[in-house]
Amino acid sequence: MSPMPTAMTMRKIVIAALGAALGAAAGLSFYQSRHLPEPVVPGPGVTAVKKLSDYFGPLEGTANDVNVYVLEGAEPGGAFLVLCGTHPEEPAGRLAGWIFAENASVSKGRLFVILTANRSASTVTRLGGAYPPDYTIVTPWGGRTFRMGDRWSSPLDQWPDPEVYVHYPSRQELAYIDIRNLNRTFPGRPGGTLTEKTGHAILELIRKERVDVVIDLHEAELQYPVISTIVAHEKGADLATLTSMMLSSEGGFAMGVENSPRALRGLSHREIGDNSDAVSLLLEAPQPFLDATRGRTDRALLLTGRDEFVVRAGKQGLLFEKIDDAGWPIDVRVGRHTSTILQILEIWSEDNPGRAVVAGGVPRYDEVIKSGTGAYLKDVKTADPAKIVYE
Amino acid sequence: MITVLYYALTAFVAVLLVRNFIDRKKWQEEVLYVIVLLPFVLRILRLK
Amino acid sequence: MDATASAALVLAVMVAAYIAARVLKISTELSLLAAALAGALAGGAGLPARHIVEGAFTYFDIVLIFVSATLFMNLLKESGGAAFVVRAILRRFHRRKSPLFVLLAVLLLIPGALTGAGSVTVLIMGGMVATVLSYMDIPRPRVAAIIFLIAGLSAAAPPVSLWAMLTAAGVNMPYVGFFLPLLVPCVVLSLMTIFILGRKARPVDLEKALEELPQAPPKMTWLRVAAPFLAFFLLVIAGRAFPFSFPILGLPLMFMAAALAAFLLSPVKIAFLRTSRETVHQLLPLIGTLTCAGILVQIMALTGVRGLIAITTVTLPVTVVFLTLFLILPVSEAVLMWGAAPVLGVPLVLLFNTIGLDPVVALAGMSVIWPLGDAIPPTAIIGRLTTATVGVKEPYGQFLKHGLVPAALIAAAGTLMVVFSKKLSFLTVF
Repeated sequence: MSPMPTAMTMRKIVIAALGAALGAAAGLSFYQSRHLPEPVVPGPGVTAVKKLSDYFGPLEGTANDVNVYVLEGAEPGGAFLVLCGTHPEEPAGRLAGWIFAENASVSKGRLFVILTANRSASTVTRLGGAYPPDYTIVTPWGGRTFRMGDRWSSPLDQWPDPEVYVHYPSRQELAYIDIRNLNRTFPGRPGGTLTEKTGHAILELIRKERVDVVIDLHEAELQYPVISTIVAHEKGADLATLTSMMLSSEGGFAMGVENSPRALRGLSHREIGDNSDAVSLLLEAPQPFLDATRGRTDRALLLTGRDEFVVRAGKQGLLFEKIDDAGWPIDVRVGRHTSTILQILEIWSEDNPGRAVVAGGVPRYDEVIKSGTGAYLKDVKTADPAKIVYE
Repeated sequence: MITVLYYALTAFVAVLLVRNFIDRKKWQEEVLYVIVLLPFVLRILRLK
Repeated sequence: MDATASAALVLAVMVAAYIAARVLKISTELSLLAAALAGALAGGAGLPARHIVEGAFTYFDIVLIFVSATLFMNLLKESGGAAFVVRAILRRFHRRKSPLFVLLAVLLLIPGALTGAGSVTVLIMGGMVATVLSYMDIPRPRVAAIIFLIAGLSAAAPPVSLWAMLTAAGVNMPYVGFFLPLLVPCVVLSLMTIFILGRKARPVDLEKALEELPQAPPKMTWLRVAAPFLAFFLLVIAGRAFPFSFPILGLPLMFMAAALAAFLLSPVKIAFLRTSRETVHQLLPLIGTLTCAGILVQIMALTGVRGLIAITTVTLPVTVVFLTLFLILPVSEAVLMWGAAPVLGVPLVLLFNTIGLDPVVALAGMSVIWPLGDAIPPTAIIGRLTTATVGVKEPYGQFLKHGLVPAALIAAAGTLMVVFSKKLSFLTVF
């Protein structure tokens, strides 16, 4: 027996046990949200489900060897890539992508959809951010639960960080943490970190599939100047301007245009356009959940976009998008994305008949708001189990 | 390779924390050691 | 109840729990934890295990940096290397105060400038610089004030300034143009700090000093002392010069490489395990604070307290914001540490941008002020680290009092940079 007094040993055991219980409860929660399965019921238009590693082998077996949904029309045409989940913590983009994957049909050209571009980042939540682990979209048949995710890849997939991140190939110095931010690591680096490899793999897909237009879906805090807008590479300036005009006059909501700044490196709208033949566009929808002034952080805020503090910031003129007590519900944000994509497809196809991509079956802004995002998510229980894919 | 070294470093510090926890005589220090240890253990177990 | 009232209530409960815990003689670290737990309960979140542990992870990488850097310095001390360097500096500079002050300021600025962490400056250079300054008849609390303030400026100094980087990332501004707006104030203010606080310094009584100082082991050489530092700086520079061919090591591993070099090159045998265990115990208050502050930040975000603080700050009249920057920034740093950058830095920079200030110079000015908060409670993380490293026996308040004048200068300089940022925008060349 050790000479240690029994009372002290007992106390140590109790403290250690309490710590273990806390760690076990949290660990279980982390494990469950990292491994939460997200089913996809491929819609009528999906002709193949490829893997990102089909375009860049070294991604195989990693967290970011994600699904690439291919929707190929009977008629030949151009190719579009819709990139969702570059930042998984901006859920409207992923949900809009889900609607395309489960509903769209393509008659001409090819449409590629990636739902979780940085899958690793979809398996964690922000340290110190108090994000909920997941959120549920109500559907007519129940609900679908999605991983909340973060802006940065999980340290479980990429560790350590450097003390300063040097962007490839520009050598611009960025905050260390952004080496795990997919929208700072384009065009990627074949021998780089997981996030850099992911960027490279996406560029490989774009080059090998001769993609004409890439649309990267995002959401932004209202205090961020680039919001409710299309950020366009100079190659896509006309396309973005026309789209913005059409949406603002007939689409039911205002949409701006911004030029992709040359000084900001690593972003999809800059690097994809610079490093491939594709036109690169990035869409931003408003997400009050991301605002630094947000109040209570929970699933309700994520899905309703209603927050008193953010409204107060708006009254002080600190925001770049309006907000009132109605907030920014998820259906509004998703609808903005689906409508904008459809509008870009139409304008592009009119202007480039030889490289047209014609898609249907996807609801527009007013339809998504009227029926809800959940109305366009298929019931996993009644779907053919052999066809279900997981993100 | 580098990542493996980081797990090794984490495990090494975790062992130091546990040894020090055992040697402590004040309850406040013991509680603090346990709290500090939590991230180390969860990282080694690849839970977070 | 509206959002403001409910968040204010949770904040009040947190403050009350913190004070109650302190009254009950609970340590600072556990009092932070108590505040967090009470806040979670008051916010209706119960005992949210996931959020508590996720918050505990917030500064995990910084904890690893602290442990590895301190282990390196302790091994160097055990090997007799620190004594060797101090004796050499004293021999060479004991009669020349000004060059010595400039040398010490530069030595203090380098580690933090390269790593972005004032703690690294304190851990690497603090002990040695403190010994030298003490032999010039500067009281210990004043020595600690010099080291703390320059360490803070070193953290803000380029190339790596985490506050500027994290805030810039938060507003999607490239981290470009910051070099001069950060370098000029950091160097000027560092020199002012050491010359103001060291103005009463007397020349070193060399014989007395050399007699009192621990002897360096006879086999100690410059090479043995310099090699671990050289290894560290080479690794940092290699990573920066060849970012695409050199593997990403991260600061903890670089410090471990330096520690290994110090251990292997030591002329005396060092008990590695014992030193490691003592290092961890020596650091417990600091890594405990980091861990518990992370938990507190997470609970503040969960319950809306974080938002309440941010919205209250940015909706103050602009003049009031200017005049209270010296208070707002250090206090946010004292509670949130680098978390202050996303919580307050982002809304403040956007506010300044909207009213037509230059965001780069304004952010640089803010970055100079922020580190002052590392000396004030509840966390006081680098202040406590410095007084512990220097060996201050006097009450903590003494250390704060000595630093007051240069701290006021730093705060004033930073505030003026914000207010006149438009006029200073010529500095943002690279």
